[in-house]
Amino acid sequence: MTRFLARRVALGLIVVAGVVVLTFVIARVVPGDPASSWIGPHASPAQLRAARHMLGLDRPLPVQIWRYFRGVLTGDWGLSIHTHQPVLSDLAARAPASLELVVAALLVALAFGIPAGLAAARWRGGAPDALVRLGSVFGVSMPSFWFALILQLIFFQRLHLLPVSGQYDPSLDTTHPLAVYTHMPVIDALVSGNWPVFGSALTHLILPAVVVGAYPAGVIARMVRASVLDTLGEDHIRMVRALGFPERSVFARFALKPALNPVISVTALVFAYSLANTFLVEAIFDWGGLGSYAADAIQSLDTPAIIGVTLFIALVYVGANLLVDILQAVVDPRIRLQ
Amino acid sequence: MRLVRVTAAAAALAAVAALATGAGGAASTPRTFSYVTQSQVMIGWDPSTSYSNEIIAMSNMYETLTHYNPATKRAEPDLATSFSSNKRGTVWTFKLRRGVTFHTGRPLTAQAAKAAIERTIKLNQGAAYIWGPVKSIATPNRYTLVFHLKYPAPLDLNASADYAAYIYDTKAAPAKKLAAWFVAGHDAGTGPYTVDYWHKGQEVELRLKAYPKYWRGWRGSHYQAVEYWVVPSVTTAAQLLRAGKVSFVERLNPQLWASFKGSPTVATTARSSWQNLLAFLNTKSGPLADRRVRQAISYAVDYNGIIAALKGDATRQIGIVPPGLWGHFNSLPGEYNTNLRKAKALLAAAGYGPGKKAITLTLTHVQGDSDEELVATLLKSELAPLNVQVQVEAMAWPTQWAKGKSLNPAKRQDIFVMYWWPDYADPYSWFVNLFKTEKQPYFNLAYYSNPKLDRMMAKAERLAASDRPKAVALYKRMQVMLLRDAPVVPLYVQVYQRTLLKSVRGYVDNPAYPNVVYVYDLKPAQ
Repeated sequence: MTRFLARRVALGLIVVAGVVVLTFVIARVVPGDPASSWIGPHASPAQLRAARHMLGLDRPLPVQIWRYFRGVLTGDWGLSIHTHQPVLSDLAARAPASLELVVAALLVALAFGIPAGLAAARWRGGAPDALVRLGSVFGVSMPSFWFALILQLIFFQRLHLLPVSGQYDPSLDTTHPLAVYTHMPVIDALVSGNWPVFGSALTHLILPAVVVGAYPAGVIARMVRASVLDTLGEDHIRMVRALGFPERSVFARFALKPALNPVISVTALVFAYSLANTFLVEAIFDWGGLGSYAADAIQSLDTPAIIGVTLFIALVYVGANLLVDILQAVVDPRIRLQ
Repeated sequence: MRLVRVTAAAAALAAVAALATGAGGAASTPRTFSYVTQSQVMIGWDPSTSYSNEIIAMSNMYETLTHYNPATKRAEPDLATSFSSNKRGTVWTFKLRRGVTFHTGRPLTAQAAKAAIERTIKLNQGAAYIWGPVKSIATPNRYTLVFHLKYPAPLDLNASADYAAYIYDTKAAPAKKLAAWFVAGHDAGTGPYTVDYWHKGQEVELRLKAYPKYWRGWRGSHYQAVEYWVVPSVTTAAQLLRAGKVSFVERLNPQLWASFKGSPTVATTARSSWQNLLAFLNTKSGPLADRRVRQAISYAVDYNGIIAALKGDATRQIGIVPPGLWGHFNSLPGEYNTNLRKAKALLAAAGYGPGKKAITLTLTHVQGDSDEELVATLLKSELAPLNVQVQVEAMAWPTQWAKGKSLNPAKRQDIFVMYWWPDYADPYSWFVNLFKTEKQPYFNLAYYSNPKLDRMMAKAERLAASDRPKAVALYKRMQVMLLRDAPVVPLYVQVYQRTLLKSVRGYVDNPAYPNVVYVYDLKPAQ
């Protein structure tokens, strides 16, 4: 198991390094001088030269890459051209919000996807099955920005039930200031016992989490349905049925548990996918995550920030894959013996 | 057991429902002004080097020696109670206001103002060039600043600039730590508001609170706090305003802006800015090196069509200097109006046009700017019937600029579309940056060279300090010269379309300070 884990970690690090080098080279090959974004629109040639030197852009590409890697290992991910702040500090302030949203979205997806998939399998070919399959297609194929606007229109504009944007009601900052530990308002409010902010943060989380969760919910529902139907054909289910267990137990206890293995893999992968997929949703719900940061970075050719966001997402992807590998190896010893 | 689970689930649902009640959050409190912008507010914190979106907040924290009044087209007293210059405009004396304190508690003195300006000059970043004419600064007494200039310049206008002109307390932190102190989210100005909190990356990124010792006092009706909201989506911004949760939205799209007309709670305003969209024509290489072709392009553009397509987001630009700024003329000899007949005749004279040799031009603009995209599309369709094909290339600004500045003329574009606006109220900014002869291209992206115009702009800069009417007359001649040579097509002036709650009284756009709302001057509804 240790050798298996070491091999996987090593491979993951190589992938991350490759992604960084590739992003670095692409960002540098694109014509344009990031220093022009740093120094502002009406800068003089002397100011521009000084900015290029200060940002290290006047050094050869291999030297820049080497310095970058050295910096990454020592916690220096460079200075953002757009925000003029250290990239790592920007990411530390932004990434938790995205992670909070994705985790909430996955909880929504699991809460909907597993029962829906189970129901579809239980009543295969019936109305519930058709409804779940239709809902899954809807969740997977629907443009997130459109879904977001519709939900805003219904729940904020018409029903006045849920907030339209933000992570919590900003007026609480003056009446109930939130102590920041993790940059995740729900967690921070819970830890500090700030219940007004906690309630506000939860309600602010609902709409964006539903929108981001729509895709994984569709995937998970279809995966559970297919997996349960596969399991139902196996010998142990015939045995359980022959022993006279009620159908509810057959599905919920004996068919669902083995069927959840592939769902675990999918959930881990969808987590990483959703992190990148939240960008547009964050913009619509004014969610202070990586989305707007990445969009600004791309627009201003903010190479350190672009590479920083790419590196972060690559790490999450590799981490998620590693987790899947470990979970599968734990569940199925044949995998680690291969 | 099952009953327990059901009960627990019901309790959880009830809790969420209870939380959801009133989940829309409190509306903007009557004494808090909430400003909605689309991107991060505080890019820079240092008042000497800041040169970005932070102007919208810093203008409420900091003040300048003078302030430009677009109605009188003059700089007027702000931290300086009066100012004067010698006849040549080389020595300027500013008398400072007494009883003003910085947010650090220290008093504003001539020595403190001098220290702030000298630090800006020393750091030489952002718009520090506005102090370029300054040779030395003297402080003959506690409240008098005397600037000795290297050459005549309108220092009253320079001192009213939107960037690099802030007067602040350089002793707010030890000199070596001052920049870091600012970046940590502090301010050291004299303005009506000071930092309450800064939440980087949050929806309400910055909150300012009233500075109790502000020199104009707090009698009467004033907002006590200012919040800066970052809302990237215009539809979300419109919903927040409609629900009364924010006071002011910097910019919506023209359709959403128009949707608020007739609203009982939301007002709309439109005012011409000083930001104009210019299409630079390559005067050095390709078909546009021929002046007749450039003039033909200038005649072929459907100016009114572009403005109509932008649905009120733009207004016509005659010449180079935008309306509202001295040096602007509503009509100029040789101004271009759409005239396809003339365009065809000029093209034919140059050997091009329908039935003759075809022209292919590359046009570059900034990716993601929907107005520029629309203009590029319209230009492409307007020029096609003249046998002029336009290849549109959208790219990030650094990429577009790098292509335009390329030392290899073959790599440059034929048409470069970009906005320009001044850092202080002087038409000189357009001429010296965009049309002065350059050995290596920088912002002169038409690659235009006219020694006579170079001499005229140098003279105009000096006249602005000593004889404004003569300077205005000179700027008229310079604009006529540019119209004749046609190195640039002035496409339009952007119009600021604002939406704000009707409960906000006294809002007036000042184009000299783009997107700034001077919150102290507003009156909240009682």
